[in-house]
Amino acid sequence: MQPATMKVLKIDFEKCTGCRLCELVCAVHHDGVSNPARSRIRVVKWESEGLYIPMACQQCQDAPCMQGCPVGAITHNWEQNRVEVDYGLCIGCRTCVAVCPFGAMHFNTIDRKVIKCDLCNGDPQCVRFCEVKAVTFVDAGDESLARQRTAARRLHTAEGKAAALL
Amino acid sequence: MGHTGEKQSAAESLRKTRTFGKVRCHNPSCMGRITPAPGAQRVRCPTCGMEYRLIWVNETLPRIRGPVWETNRKIAQQAWARRQAAAKEVK
Amino acid sequence: MALNRKIAYIDLSTNTVETRPIPLEIRKKFLGGRGLDAYLLYNHAPAGCDPLGPENVLIISAGILTATCASASARTHIMAKSPLTGLLGSTNMGGFFAPELAWAGFHHLVIKGKAAGPVYLFIHNGEIEIRDAAHLWGKTTTDTQWAIRSELDDEEVKSCVIGPAGENLVRFANVMTGIKNAGGRTGMGCVMGSKNLKAVAVRGTLDIRLAHPAQALDFNKKFIDQITSAKVNQIQGKLGTPFIWGATNCWGGLRTNNFQYNQLEDADDIEPERLDEIATETMGPHHMAACFGCQVHCRAQYKIPAGPYAGKYDEGPEYTSLGAFGAEAGCRSAVTVLTGNHLVDQYGMDNLETGSLIAWAMELFEKGILTARETDGLDLRFGNDEALLEMVHRICARQGWLGDTLADGGIPAAEKIGNNAFDYLIQVKGMNNLHSDERATPALALNVATSSRGSDHLRSRPAIDLYHLPEEVLRKIYGTPVPYDGPLSSDHTSYTGKPWMVFWQENCYMAVDCLGICKYHTVFLGATLPNFEDWPRVIELNTGLKLSPTDIWQIAERGNMLERLFNLREGLTRDDPKKGDTLNHRYFDEPCLRGAPDVIGLSIDRDRFNAMIDEFYEIKGLDKNGLPEPRTLERLGLAQEPSHQL
Repeated sequence: MQPATMKVLKIDFEKCTGCRLCELVCAVHHDGVSNPARSRIRVVKWESEGLYIPMACQQCQDAPCMQGCPVGAITHNWEQNRVEVDYGLCIGCRTCVAVCPFGAMHFNTIDRKVIKCDLCNGDPQCVRFCEVKAVTFVDAGDESLARQRTAARRLHTAEGKAAALL
Repeated sequence: MGHTGEKQSAAESLRKTRTFGKVRCHNPSCMGRITPAPGAQRVRCPTCGMEYRLIWVNETLPRIRGPVWETNRKIAQQAWARRQAAAKEVK
Repeated sequence: MALNRKIAYIDLSTNTVETRPIPLEIRKKFLGGRGLDAYLLYNHAPAGCDPLGPENVLIISAGILTATCASASARTHIMAKSPLTGLLGSTNMGGFFAPELAWAGFHHLVIKGKAAGPVYLFIHNGEIEIRDAAHLWGKTTTDTQWAIRSELDDEEVKSCVIGPAGENLVRFANVMTGIKNAGGRTGMGCVMGSKNLKAVAVRGTLDIRLAHPAQALDFNKKFIDQITSAKVNQIQGKLGTPFIWGATNCWGGLRTNNFQYNQLEDADDIEPERLDEIATETMGPHHMAACFGCQVHCRAQYKIPAGPYAGKYDEGPEYTSLGAFGAEAGCRSAVTVLTGNHLVDQYGMDNLETGSLIAWAMELFEKGILTARETDGLDLRFGNDEALLEMVHRICARQGWLGDTLADGGIPAAEKIGNNAFDYLIQVKGMNNLHSDERATPALALNVATSSRGSDHLRSRPAIDLYHLPEEVLRKIYGTPVPYDGPLSSDHTSYTGKPWMVFWQENCYMAVDCLGICKYHTVFLGATLPNFEDWPRVIELNTGLKLSPTDIWQIAERGNMLERLFNLREGLTRDDPKKGDTLNHRYFDEPCLRGAPDVIGLSIDRDRFNAMIDEFYEIKGLDKNGLPEPRTLERLGLAQEPSHQL
């Protein structure tokens, strides 16, 4: 059955100020503690260039973590639009950590288990706290619209310039 | 916890005193609020005559970018001359 | 728990490390951050010690709320006896160092002794290692940080470091973290240099348990709204602190040509909006960056658009750089400001002190007190951008007679230069004033004169005095949490009620520095921002510590008094022009020549200023000479200090 909406985390890294509040609130929400090592979202930085990029699980449709899991502990929850770990089955082998192309599956050394974004059951705290809207929660079908609009405008401008050259 | 439902802090209660769409003349005895026309690039204080260049941080938040130098320099020179004259009189 | 973060005592002479918990009783008296630093300094630095000797103690700390779910709890505090002033050395910076220190298990590092050769500390989840830093010596502040990350093979390591200025013992060398976050004032980088300590690197993944996590999370959302809804923070988020410079220059509150004028006319190229345009052109529309957990994002990213450093990336400039490399030197070029800012960031040198000393030297050059002989041929006139930047290089490298002389700080330099050079030095307690001119603002003049770390705007400045808020609004702010029914004036040129406002702000800022949060999140530039009444909840939800607004007030008052005790012990006397609660004579003798019509002709009235000092002392519980009354020390629980409990 097709769900009414399919919401995903949309990351607009150009807007990220690098404050890492998303990491803090993620850990506080899930584990009740402050510790970015427990965060499911992480801001990757190149400080010498002023570049900050929040990285989180893409909730892939054909998820490598799911494919790689030897005990079938990772499944797709279509209702929540997320890839999730069944900790009753998980053996802690970290194969999922190794195969995730985004580095978005983490191993939490304190609890000795893998952790990943669960979209906070529909109310992502990183989105709630990001005032600059570098992380938003949007329908997957709409994710490309803003980018498309920007590109269209760019095309139009280029067209104008090209016309002026003729 | 027992804190919920307590009266507002002084700081929070002052939120209602915020004004929008206005700037304050920087001259100490004026300090009156001036309401520039929305989007206006310049504004003049009706009291002291100082003139300011404006920017708009957002639609309701104008900010004085800087003085209109030629106007304000003239006003400053006149003020200095008045002070000098007053000082002479006292002597 | 935030409260279980420890103190580490590190002796670089003996290579020993000892860690201790912080007893709850001490927490309740001093909280953490700057307040507890003051306790540690007063107890561990021997009276009269040489600031550059192994006996001086360098303390690096996080606040009690650091890295908890409290907005913008990012501040690092650093304290030692100052090699610039011989009194309290104290500085505070944003960035990401303090939270990492807290995740690594510590709130305070007490660093003693002197290493035989260059070293750096690596602190990782409760472990402290003293490592060789010979290969880092000579590196700039950013190169040092990247080299440490590469050596430790960990991109998440956060370091506070010194640059070449600290190594060369420039008396106002700073401590840097990240690209531009600077513990700038009072020469704490010089103290690090004297200990052969190039850097302190930290990496932590230890849990900080929160007392009431779910509620702390929700409360933080509300707190952030209180902070970001303030108009001033919306402006900060666009223009950063330069907006303050722009506003101040409008009416004539800005030191220009050292202290000859109070406004830089035709300064359009270095107006905050112009700098914002350059940041947009070089880094795109989303060029504002933030410290840990902060939604104000007041730090601009930029690339220098032209000149010999074109294309170099840096952050800021803060408003102080607009003074230092702009108005004070009579310069009007954005490229100069952005380049000067970049140089001091890379060298690890306080921008305020650097710019102010060069501007002073420019005036001495203009007056003929310094000549081309002392400047090694440099044409050090006001408005000479190249000479200004050349002096930055020379001071850092202690190159040439003047570079070496200025690197020792204003008062030693004045003594070496001779004549009446000292008369032109805009300093308090041996530390130069920032770029602001307080001749039209008695409250601000009182603030710089009495600040515990020398001339300064972040210890007790009632900046909202400039907004002419209605008296009832002022009463609401300044009448809580301790009732005040004395006079108050909305007029910033008045002397009425200002001592109380300065006292209130002194306590407010001390509390903020104990909590480890940023001053843009309290009553510094906005009246609606959190303060004493708003803090108990955030403290309790995060740490479990139950404190009332008046408890916090008293802790702050205690911390301030302890700083005063330290200064008195190290030689502060009320009227000493070099170590006292005094101002340069020009504040009283030379009127403002520029700015708004009502500002023209103003200067500080000497008698009224002295009356303000008297009143301020009385409010603080000091006698006429500025010494604490015995009952004041009793009341604040300081009669037994130093008590050596930690």
